[in-house]
Amino acid sequence: MSRRTLLVVSLCAVLEVAAVAQTPGALPDLSGVWAPYRGGRGADPSLAPPPASPVVLKPTYAEAYRARRAAEDEATKRGEPLGTAAVLCTPYGMPRMMSVALYPVEILPRLGQITVITEAFSEVRRIYMDQPQLPIGDVPPGYYGHSVGRWEGDTLVVDTVAIKESVLSYQNLPHSDQMRITERIRLVTKDILHDQITIEDPVVLEKPAVYTLAYRRMPNYKMVEFVCENNREYIDEKGAVRMRIREK
Amino acid sequence: MTASCLAVLATGVAGTDRLLAHHSFAMFDTAKRVTLAGTVTAFEWTNPHAYIELDVPDEGGRVKHWSVELGSTSILMQGGWTFKDLKRGDKITLILSPLRSGETGGLLVQVTLPDGRVLGNGPGRGAQP
Repeated sequence: MSRRTLLVVSLCAVLEVAAVAQTPGALPDLSGVWAPYRGGRGADPSLAPPPASPVVLKPTYAEAYRARRAAEDEATKRGEPLGTAAVLCTPYGMPRMMSVALYPVEILPRLGQITVITEAFSEVRRIYMDQPQLPIGDVPPGYYGHSVGRWEGDTLVVDTVAIKESVLSYQNLPHSDQMRITERIRLVTKDILHDQITIEDPVVLEKPAVYTLAYRRMPNYKMVEFVCENNREYIDEKGAVRMRIREK
Repeated sequence: MTASCLAVLATGVAGTDRLLAHHSFAMFDTAKRVTLAGTVTAFEWTNPHAYIELDVPDEGGRVKHWSVELGSTSILMQGGWTFKDLKRGDKITLILSPLRSGETGGLLVQVTLPDGRVLGNGPGRGAQP
């Protein structure tokens, strides 16, 4: 083999390795279905998510939020729990969609995009890879906003903006149109995934709220459809959740 | 608001992480248990909840109708249910937590199927298969 041929072959090999590193297969395998992981008896504590940071609201919002939560607690004690949009089958949106009771989420990576589908309410979000984030004012506010992602080593970093103000945030917190959600998603083991979520909002929050969700891989699980066709709950004139009874 | 007030609020919020669900179950009196024996008039394998509609005769032969709420289909499947486990005409006995309003409705605790199997209302809620 001539020196030139050797050089070309070597160059090709280098390019091939680089190409593999750019394909989804060479990256941490996030694909598949993931169920919330809450540890439990005998679980390895190192796999549990770290505790959430305290939530500190700006004084303007803190009192209203505290009063709302106190009213919720009081109503629940009375047996007349206050309704939220979810009672009417309105989807959760970001970031609450990432953790709804025991429902799994499905992650579908492909070149240039990672799609997340939740089982509860069949919500869908799309993360556009290696693209600059759009200015907040340029995106119509919605339930899922606009998400861009990039890999930092073994961690998928996702930036989300433009969540509609009527979509309640983590812990049912209010938020402004300036809210920014940063997720750092990584495999802790082959089958345990952590999603560290940081919520920044210079209007509502005194400091960022940080919490981590943990998931376990669900091999062979088939996502169950969830169409809200038989919702018998409604919110009465006092704001309480009620259930409709069939006559027969 | 002072820094100490903020700190108190912060602690309060961090200490009460609420599990999200479609709705609160506080409208049901979960401290109470009512046992019903009757005939299924409908089994609706639907979301956000499945329902058992049940005709329950009293000692005098009068029939009262009950609507019984179950989890969503996904949560029920995680607890061992299938969509074929009940059908119209089945005779069953079930235990529920009644609505606090006094209406004839409630939240399923567990049901004994015609074939003798006992199912709860999802994983960690009542009987497991």
